[in-house]
Amino acid sequence: MEKTATARREAQPGETRWDLRAEPGRIISLLGTAGSGLTRLGLSMLAEASQRNLVAVVDVRGWLSPIAAFEVGIDPEHLVVVRSKDRQQWSQVVAALIEGLHVVYAEVPIGISDTHLRRLAALTRSRRGALVLRPLDGRLPSGVSHLTLQSEEVVWKGAGAGHGHLRGRHLQMRAWGKGVGGAERLFEVEDDGENALRVVAGMVTPSAGRAAG
Amino acid sequence: MWWPEWSLRRQDAPPDRPCFVVQSETGGFRVVTANAPARSAGVASGMPRREAEGLCPGAVVLERDLGAETNDFEPALVAIEDLVPKAEVVEPGLVFVPIQGALRYYGGEIPLLERMVDRLSAWPGGRLGVARGPFAARRAAVLAVEAPLRVDDDAAFLSNLAVDALPHEDLVATFRWLGIGTLGELSRLPRGAMASRFGEPGLAAHRLASGEDRMVAPREIPEDISVEQRYEEPLRSLDQIGFAARALAGRLITALGERGVAPHRVEVSVMAADRTERIRVWRSANPFTEHALTERVWWQLRAWIETAGVPGGIVRLCLQPADLSDAGRQLSLEDDTVSQLEAARALNRAQALVGPDAVLQAKVQGGRRFSEQVSWFRWGEEPAVPQRSLDAPWPGRVPSPSPALVPPEAQPIEVEWDGGMPVRVRLRNRWEMVTAWAGPWRLAGRWWEGEESVERYQVVTAVSALLCEVRDGSAFVVGLYD
Repeated sequence: MEKTATARREAQPGETRWDLRAEPGRIISLLGTAGSGLTRLGLSMLAEASQRNLVAVVDVRGWLSPIAAFEVGIDPEHLVVVRSKDRQQWSQVVAALIEGLHVVYAEVPIGISDTHLRRLAALTRSRRGALVLRPLDGRLPSGVSHLTLQSEEVVWKGAGAGHGHLRGRHLQMRAWGKGVGGAERLFEVEDDGENALRVVAGMVTPSAGRAAG
Repeated sequence: MWWPEWSLRRQDAPPDRPCFVVQSETGGFRVVTANAPARSAGVASGMPRREAEGLCPGAVVLERDLGAETNDFEPALVAIEDLVPKAEVVEPGLVFVPIQGALRYYGGEIPLLERMVDRLSAWPGGRLGVARGPFAARRAAVLAVEAPLRVDDDAAFLSNLAVDALPHEDLVATFRWLGIGTLGELSRLPRGAMASRFGEPGLAAHRLASGEDRMVAPREIPEDISVEQRYEEPLRSLDQIGFAARALAGRLITALGERGVAPHRVEVSVMAADRTERIRVWRSANPFTEHALTERVWWQLRAWIETAGVPGGIVRLCLQPADLSDAGRQLSLEDDTVSQLEAARALNRAQALVGPDAVLQAKVQGGRRFSEQVSWFRWGEEPAVPQRSLDAPWPGRVPSPSPALVPPEAQPIEVEWDGGMPVRVRLRNRWEMVTAWAGPWRLAGRWWEGEESVERYQVVTAVSALLCEVRDGSAFVVGLYD
């Protein structure tokens, strides 16, 4: 996590606190089912860059709500939503955006070839752009992502048995890839619904042993 | 209103000999206007001075004096403003008059035009064009040689005009080279392709050709953005007002620049020592720079002083911006110009691939449903004026946080109920237990539009949280808290 997160305030005892954000030349992939909170997490990674420059979201389904983007801190004047439903065109659109924008969040439609994804990864690295990919199904081929974040569990706060309303959530995520130094990590993200998301606790898990013999 | 030969209304311009007026521009002097004898020798507006002198060697060449022209133009403006207030001056001899509000008072366009022609008969040579947007009105005025020309449909009127009417000289040459001769031919090209090939100027040209001129005040004007200066000693000398104009114009452009905008229109208002107030609006097709604004404020103040419009001198000067745009703002040193250009190019390319309707920006507006709370507009275009006020109460609105995914059409979903409480929901092929829920929020339908009332629930399962609508016993997903 150290390479993709920056401390903003002193950590409290027993607590590690980071802000997630996209970094130049890096690809972050977000894995998990729809409804597990990954869209807000991905959007929050664009918030800091949007204070200075235009950022783009490639919306494959045409479902993205910009209100959620504004809630996580994206500057409304700097958010551009590109709707690309055509699978054949998707990689061209993302490539065009990576050529000129610092940060792009893109949903990945089902059926995009590994070759196209690897080309996009190479382009992102060469252009020093930052790309956050959210596959609608499955995973990305190995070697594409600098950091992979997978949603493990989501706990909602605020709603009861017919009373209250949703106020926030706790996400438990698993992270792996070069972005966390090769070790697999579990961490929690707190989303209070109004502000940027925060990583509130992280711990290292032992990587899987390799069988020998 | 346009007086094509306003620059020739000066004492030293001979009426019976060839004569033309030149103005200093980037790249040297160019002809602004020429009288009939000079025109018959081939001199035309926009021509370089040397070329004009070559065509008409004996002509009297005069250098344009915009300050003096503004002075001379002031009485004509006062006459126009007697009929319709808030005329917008572009330069001496060219003024836009917003007549929408005055039509009812005068009983329609024709009575108003008759009065205007009658009132302006003291300044012959004026041409009057009436259209919805300034660009079409200006082109109509060019053609209104004998009588006022009224345009009912801007796009249809413009479609027959040559591309030379566009303000971008280089682009016009390229369009001609590509075989595009009229604005109609240009407007029929796909806008996305224009944006991709010619960038922002191409997009602007396409909009003008399509009759989509700049909207009036398309961007929100920040409150208290006007700049004002009061003077204990009334300003009477031209030196004093020159300094005042420069200082105030500088303050305004700097303040707007900090907000990333620049004005297309500025209202200049002064108070005289005898408490008389004078107001004039200046307009520019391109956003005002500090230098351009200083010049106009200076011309206006000078005209008022020299025509005794501010008895006793100026005790208060105020500049109020309007019709703000970030398109032509001055970039500060911290702005990464290259980044902006690259971003614009990338988005133009995306527009070319997916079409202009699929590259969008959004603005928040009021509404009861999340889908209603967003006003979309194409990237590169001015935002639409929000249809619903944010400040209205919007009963039935679900509190934030908002769902990150809102399907354009409600998606049917199977929900199992027990005594009015959701127990299970079917997600894809699996039933998931409901772990928590909130609601219902009742949304009363607009029965007069045939809209049903619905009840909305937030439903939480182990894997996701949904916003559901229930109507007529059927459940639909209208938001996904992803």
